[in-house]
Amino acid sequence: MGLMTSGALRKGMLKPVGELLNYSRKYSLWMFQWGLACCAIEMGAALAGPRYDVMRLGVIPFPASPRQADLIVISGTVTDKMAPAIKRLYEQMPDPKYVISMGSCANCGGPYWDSYSVTKGVDQIIPVDVYVPGCPPRPEAFIQAIVMLQERIQKEDPADRWQGKGWEPIIVGG
Amino acid sequence: MADDEATSAANPADGVDESAPAAAVATIDPPAPSPENADLLARLAAEIGAEAVLESAEACGDLVVRVALDAWANAAAACRRTLGFDYLCFISGIDWMPMPAVGGDDATTDTSAPTQPTETTYGVAGSAGRFQAFARVLSTRVARSGLTLKVDVPTANPHLPSWCATFPGADWHERECWEMYGFIFDGHPSLRHLYLPHEFEGFPLRKDFPLLAREVKPWPGLVNVEGMPGEADDEAEGGES
Repeated sequence: MGLMTSGALRKGMLKPVGELLNYSRKYSLWMFQWGLACCAIEMGAALAGPRYDVMRLGVIPFPASPRQADLIVISGTVTDKMAPAIKRLYEQMPDPKYVISMGSCANCGGPYWDSYSVTKGVDQIIPVDVYVPGCPPRPEAFIQAIVMLQERIQKEDPADRWQGKGWEPIIVGG
Repeated sequence: MADDEATSAANPADGVDESAPAAAVATIDPPAPSPENADLLARLAAEIGAEAVLESAEACGDLVVRVALDAWANAAAACRRTLGFDYLCFISGIDWMPMPAVGGDDATTDTSAPTQPTETTYGVAGSAGRFQAFARVLSTRVARSGLTLKVDVPTANPHLPSWCATFPGADWHERECWEMYGFIFDGHPSLRHLYLPHEFEGFPLRKDFPLLAREVKPWPGLVNVEGMPGEADDEAEGGES
């Protein structure tokens, strides 16, 4: 971990090691599914449907607990009652960890923007890496979110990620 | 508890008195009930007392009976034990208050529901005031049989008897009704939040519950849609340029 945080992996002889690490992380994203509402159906289509099959991209959607996960997908309506549970499970994930917010509800509250019980965007409780707009998004959009996240992981410097430098969210199609 | 009983005993009388102007506001002429429903109504009246049946109507072939507040628990027992309605479908509440204008009375920005009534109207079987609780019971043995019971809940002191002793399944329905409308079910084993976080304040399905998001931001649903290409406006613009 000292290597990661010191920035030694981006210069000199260790630079190829850093790139190899990034390449390995990119194609072994263990994904914790968080289906909260109807977007979970589209996510299921993208994960398990033979037409889309996200596992060919190296995304493994079956970790037994958030402690084994690299990526969490919030798909669906986040309510104020569910928000503490989301934050707690997110905090149990080991670094480096990534968040995809899938669908209008998770992005900003969506059609429930004025509801008494809906959190107006999951980014109010956890930082989001990729926003997927749509109500619900097509599985193609979800897969594009995965691909864009993999591109970011390939280019990213683990030290910067660790220190939260240069963090900017990706918006699919935006 | 003695005070509660005293108020609930006094309220049906108020309900009877107020029902006349209420009926004047709502001009819904109930059709004559079918023979089966008339028979059902007579049997219900025989069980809970004719004076406890305040009003009845038939809606979509279904009998709707408004009963007095102090007969609410007896009505459940009669339905289950004598009338053969062994299944409780649901218990819920109604707030008949007209939807208040968002942002004050002079606000005109909220165009989300232009058909909202501005005067109080009541549904079938009438109402004595703003709040009503209603429940539906079914028979699992007789096809197409059901009965909807309504009861007027006092506005200032919204107490009504619980049905949990008769239908144990009423527990969660009454908890939901309490957290959404603030009706207090006397005799319920544990009235606590079911869907909302435990620290939630207010009763969100009451019409006067403020939706804070709408106070801050007007309804964004009304947008000026651009004309499709080839429509009259578009061609006019093209001609000018």
